[in-house]
Amino acid sequence: MKDGIANNSTASISQARKAVEQLKMEACMDRIKVSKAAADLMAYCDAHIREDPLIMPVPASENPFREKKFFCTIL
Amino acid sequence: MRSPLIPEMATQEVQLNETLAHLKTESETLKSKLEEERAKLHDVELHQVAEKVEGLGQFVMKTRRTLKGHGNKVLCMDWCKDKRRIVSSSQDGKVIVWDAFTTNKEHAVTMPCTWVMACAYAPSGCAVACGGLDNKCSVYPLSLDKNENLAAKKKSVAMHTNYLSACSFTNSDMQILTSSGDGTCALWDVESGQLLQSFHGHAADVLCLDLAPSETGNTFVSGGCDKKANVWDMRSGQCIQSFETHESDINSVRYYPSGDAFASGSDDATCRLYDLRADREVAIYSKESIIFGVSSVDFSLSGRLLFGGYNDYTINVWDVLKGTRVSILFGHENRVSTLRVSPDGTAFCTGSWDHTLRIWA
Repeated sequence: MKDGIANNSTASISQARKAVEQLKMEACMDRIKVSKAAADLMAYCDAHIREDPLIMPVPASENPFREKKFFCTIL
Repeated sequence: MRSPLIPEMATQEVQLNETLAHLKTESETLKSKLEEERAKLHDVELHQVAEKVEGLGQFVMKTRRTLKGHGNKVLCMDWCKDKRRIVSSSQDGKVIVWDAFTTNKEHAVTMPCTWVMACAYAPSGCAVACGGLDNKCSVYPLSLDKNENLAAKKKSVAMHTNYLSACSFTNSDMQILTSSGDGTCALWDVESGQLLQSFHGHAADVLCLDLAPSETGNTFVSGGCDKKANVWDMRSGQCIQSFETHESDINSVRYYPSGDAFASGSDDATCRLYDLRADREVAIYSKESIIFGVSSVDFSLSGRLLFGGYNDYTINVWDVLKGTRVSILFGHENRVSTLRVSPDGTAFCTGSWDHTLRIWA
């Protein structure tokens, strides 16, 4: 039983130590301001929005899902 | 704990408890410091910066195809890189490969278990991976011969100690990333079935994962029942960033196309956007009227739209930058359980507990 109690506590301590190490590592990260991050997200959208078929629909003839043609397979 | 029988045991126990308490305090202090550091850079909200962006027009998106054939709830689906084929898996144990243009079924496999919660298409288009309550991820090569019994060529790749919740090939057919109810993620070599790396850090079931776009390097994000979204280094197995702002299970995570951010969907009825370089949540997509959980999320090609599949049978479409809802789509007759935008962004597919899949465009 002595070992049982010791093992429970050592396992919890090991976990707690890992958590502390993980947090220390995360603390070292280089972060940027939200204004910069937001600007970059917007820039990406802006650069790609014209090619986004769900926003700038291509003519129905070019989107196979919007085409009204019906497909048949020969059995 | 029962009282110790021997005095020296008492001392040892007290010492261990003291160390534990000390470590917990250190942990709390570090967490507060982390929040402080993050807060310093919180100079503006994304939707404020986005005020000057042109609003989106009216959306006309409707069901263009309905894929019928599953005998029970559809749980997962994935697109083939050819932008027309789809693999889906169901509670009935079936995995079906469809041609989404024609709605024809091309292949069907019956798994030895029910609740096939995860399926994925291989980058080559020549194989599919799937798994669920069997705790495994298996790979089936797809044969051109429709009469061939796919089950015969099945290869067991991953072994977890609880259900498989998600799987994804990396940028080749050679490696698969899995997440599991056992609280871990793992990277496997398909050919040998060998475990290449395991990822420990979630405190409960891991429900979802997504690989970073190949240009951004070897990371992936996972979400779990511990309400955390973790970003991992695939080579070292290290958790490099962790986000805990959701109030319930995270059912889906998806990278923003640039790789600089990711979105999440949760049982707390919200979707959220986390920027990786700012290291914080930068947007919440929610409405008071939306009270049902989000099962799955995906971005449109440009990243401007976020599609969310909800447990109230609807799909909500969000303006990622402005934080507003631009459309709500009806059609499914039960929970939407899975949602993916096609590789060229021309459509998105949803799977539902109503046994069907729908293609929307």
